[in-house]
Order: sequence, then C-alpha cells, then structure tokens
Amino acid sequence: MTMDNIVLLGIGQSFRGDDAIGIIAVEKWQERFPETAQLPALKVEILELPGLELLDALSGAKKALIVDAVQSGSPTGTIHVITENELLSFTPDSQSAHGWGVAETLKLGALLEKDDLPKEIVIIGIEADQFEMGAGLSPTVSNQIQKIVEIIQTQIIQIT
Amino acid sequence: MTKTINVSALARVEGEGGLYIGVKDGKAHEIKVNIYEPPRFFEGFLQGRYLQDVPDITARICGICPVAYQMSSVRALEKALKIETSAQTRDLRSLLYCGEWIESHVLHIYMLQGPDLTGHESAISLAEVAPETVAIALRLKKIGNSILKAIGGRSVHPVNACVGGFYKWPEIEKLQKLLPDLEWGLEQALETVRWSMTLPYPDFDVDYEYVALTHPDEYAILEGDILSSKIGKISEDDFEKYYLEKHVEHSNAIHSHGTDGQPYFVGPLARFNLNYEQLGDTAKQIAAEVGVEHPINNPYKGLIARAVETVEAFDRAIRLIKEYNPNQPSAIELKLTSGEGAAGTEAPRGMLYHRYKIDDYGMIQEAKIMPPTAQNLARMEADLWQLAPTVLALEHDEATLTCEHLLRSYDPCISCATHFLKLEIKDI
Repeated sequence: MTMDNIVLLGIGQSFRGDDAIGIIAVEKWQERFPETAQLPALKVEILELPGLELLDALSGAKKALIVDAVQSGSPTGTIHVITENELLSFTPDSQSAHGWGVAETLKLGALLEKDDLPKEIVIIGIEADQFEMGAGLSPTVSNQIQKIVEIIQTQIIQIT
Repeated sequence: MTKTINVSALARVEGEGGLYIGVKDGKAHEIKVNIYEPPRFFEGFLQGRYLQDVPDITARICGICPVAYQMSSVRALEKALKIETSAQTRDLRSLLYCGEWIESHVLHIYMLQGPDLTGHESAISLAEVAPETVAIALRLKKIGNSILKAIGGRSVHPVNACVGGFYKWPEIEKLQKLLPDLEWGLEQALETVRWSMTLPYPDFDVDYEYVALTHPDEYAILEGDILSSKIGKISEDDFEKYYLEKHVEHSNAIHSHGTDGQPYFVGPLARFNLNYEQLGDTAKQIAAEVGVEHPINNPYKGLIARAVETVEAFDRAIRLIKEYNPNQPSAIELKLTSGEGAAGTEAPRGMLYHRYKIDDYGMIQEAKIMPPTAQNLARMEADLWQLAPTVLALEHDEATLTCEHLLRSYDPCISCATHFLKLEIKDI
C-alpha cells in the first residue's frame, strides 16, 4: 500500500534480450529527467518478473504508467501506447493460461482488488524481437530508447 | 494499431515449453519434454565476477524464488571461503526463506494447480466463481512477500543477503509488525491443508527415488545433508558424485540421473516423505488431524505436501520473528582465499544446488547451478511414459491439458509462463 498518487513501473528481465527495454527505458528516463523523476507524488519502480507482485506495486496509486516489452506481430521497435481497457478487452488466447503476465495480473486485480488499483493505467509497450539470454537489446529496439524516454516524460507530465 | 496487441504479448518469458510424443503402432515410441532453459548463461556470466555479486545476479534467474538462488549461492561461497556465519544470520536467512516458501507455495496451490484440480482454466476463471478463495490466496501470498520486503527491502528481488550474512539487520519493529498478518496466515494455511484433502486427485502412484536436504533438528530448508530414499544420506560436497547431469539431444535441457541412470524426484513431496519426523508440532498436528497419508507417492498430491509446508513456514516465521533480537554484527568480515564450495538449499520447488570455485581475490572461476526443475526433468519424462496410454486415447486439447496437469504438479520453473505446453503427437 502506498500513499503515492502515481506509479511508473519498468518491467522486464534485464538479462533477456529485448525484454530489458522496459527497465532500461525507465532508467534512462530517470537520468534524463531527474527533476520529474523526483516529484514527491511519483513512485518509480523497476520490477523484474513481478508476476502477481505487480498488484502490490500498483496498489493505492491513482494513476499508473507501465513500460514493458510486447510481442504483437508489429514491426520490431514499434511503440504502442495502450490503456488498460484496451488490454483487458482481450481474453487469454491460450487454453493453458496459467501465466502471470501483465494482462492476466491486471485482469485478476480488476476482479478482486478493483478499489485498490489505479483508476487509470497506461501501458507503453515496445515491440520486441528476441528474448535471448545474454543477447542484449536488438539494434532496432535500442534505437528507440530516446523516443520512449520522451513518451514517458509526456505521459508523466500529462497525468501529474 | 493498438488493437493488435494480444494477451500473450505481455506474458513473461521464462523459457519455451514443449512436449513431443512420437507414436508407432498406436503406442508411445518417443517422449521428449523440453520445458526448461537451464541457467547455463548465468554459469558463464558469473565467471570472472566478484563473489559478492553472485547472490544478486543469480536471484534474477527467477521471479518466484530469488531467495533460493541467494541462499544456495551464499552458502556455497561461504564454504569456499571456509567461514561459518552466526546463528543469528542463519535464523534470519530461515525467516527470509519462509517468506519465499509462503508466496511460492500459495501461488502454486491456489493459482496454478488448484485451478487444474477443480476444473478451472485459470485462477482468473476460479476468481469469477470463488472470489473469496482467490482473494485469500492473494493476501497469503502478499504476506510471504512482505517478509521478503521487510528483510530485503523489495518484495520481488530482495537485496540484503550477502556472503557472510546480511548487509544490514532489519529493524525489530518492522518484523514484529508482520505478526498479526502471519497469525492470520497460519490459520488460513491450516484451512488450506483441510481444503487440500477434499480435492479430486488423479490416481497415479510411482515408486520414486526422493532426494532432499535433511537436518536432525528441523525440517530442512537452509542446510543439512542430502538424503535419498534409495541410497541414504550423503554430504552435499559429494552430491555430484552421486547425481549426474547429461545433455539431452532434443533440447537445451540437461537431465539429471542417479549413478544407476535412474531419474529422481526433488520437491515438497520428497521433503515431506523424507523429513516428516522433523516437521514442527503445528504442521504434524494438522497432517494427523486431516489424515494425510505418509508417505505420499502421487505427484498430484504434492499439493497436500505443499499445504503442510505452508503451515510449517508460517509457524516457523512467527517463532523466528518472536525470537529475533540481533546483537552481533550482521555480517562477518571476509578474508579472501581461493577455494571451492558446494551447497544445496530447499527452494520451494525442490533442492537447488550451487557449486563455485574462487581464486585468491574472490573472483569466480567456475560456477555450477542445478535447479530443481532441471533435476526433475528426467523424472517428468518417466512419468509421461506411464501416462502416455491414457493420453493417446484423448482429443488433442484434452491430451495437452492432461500432460500439462501432471507436469504442473511438479511446480516447474516454467509454470509462470503462458503457453506452458505445446504438445505435438506425431505418427512415426
């Protein structure tokens, strides 16, 4: 539970190829916009493989911005800005949806802890190419970092 | 554009899941499980790094059991340095580990295997019909994570554990604040054991070789000798003499076997069967009250063992917090020297073995990591041979689900990834 109003979460896995982009982008944003990053109403968190812990990180906040890698079939490096509703309108496409990705976790949260969760969740999803262990970011994804950083800043300014 | 996002897009990837069954004359001819990527990247990545970086790097192998990776690595490295940590450090490590057992076991019981056994596609569909149950599970899991947070500063990858102890003792009040939640959690954990006995488990009995840590004075989590139901007790230093790894052609995976070439079983069932006598009174009482058979030789009933262990973890966490009163240095000073050390600890899903060789400067020369899922892979394949005749008679979707339920009962590391299993059945 947090008294903060807004949370910014960088999600992913730092060692697994493009899955690090959510983490790296948020760290770069902190470096480039230190004053915004230190706003008292804002909590910035890096979460590696949070699973259901995502709900705890969101709990108590009014608004949230999540930066994460996605795979949707769009060209690598595409930056999607989507709302929680757009995400939740999709149902798990696998019979064995026991996974705890961001979408499933938010869906479970919406069922059980709606009152604790932010009313507004925006997800910046960066289209990934590969999740190879130790591979680092793909050049196309890496080239988008500055752009993502600016989008994070625009979004944060909009909601603060 | 945004409408093209599908759910799997945001799923975490912890390895690709695949199962192949080759069929000849209507019978299974070949079975290959390929569901786990061993941490070989990390074994290489650690070479040349300073020993104190190891706990936090290896913790990133898994989002569910970071503490296990920290504890096996610090213990192995302390053995390499030939140092022994204080009893107070051991107790706080146990407490940290209890937090991880709670969060991981509750996740598996209610969010992964529970839905399988009650005919739900996922915890989300379970939450639609039984929101109270899933809400209780979520709260229990949070309590486990709150222990990690109180000791390690963060609930996903705690950062306070180090070779030699802890960087800083957590404040006494901070831990004591957790007690009311833990007392509530213990009651709910007892209820969970009662509930676990009402679930419909498939019939499936196997004469497994169980392998787990064992300790004369307590239900082993953090340290002990290694006990096998077939070969008896061995020192953790000798583990690799008795249990061998073999590269498997069909996958990136490494399979583990005993020296007799037979697979073995690590995990809650192994611990429960081998260490039943060392369970605390509360756990033993509830097991007796509800009539838990002992030993249990059905992998699906690992859920019952997990439920009893959750009671043990809550009970022990409460005791350790009440006794917590640190008055010694949180870590002992390291005197660097070359050496080699091996250690196992009981991750929620089974024994996690680490071995490190270090040089005079404390730099890693060699790292060896044997996670429980890798050790269980050969055992899972052997179980699938037994299940195959049933599976081949089913429609594809149902066959996939049947195999998946069996494999998920092992609580493999992949279980948090979506698209857990892609089943291919092929006539050859």
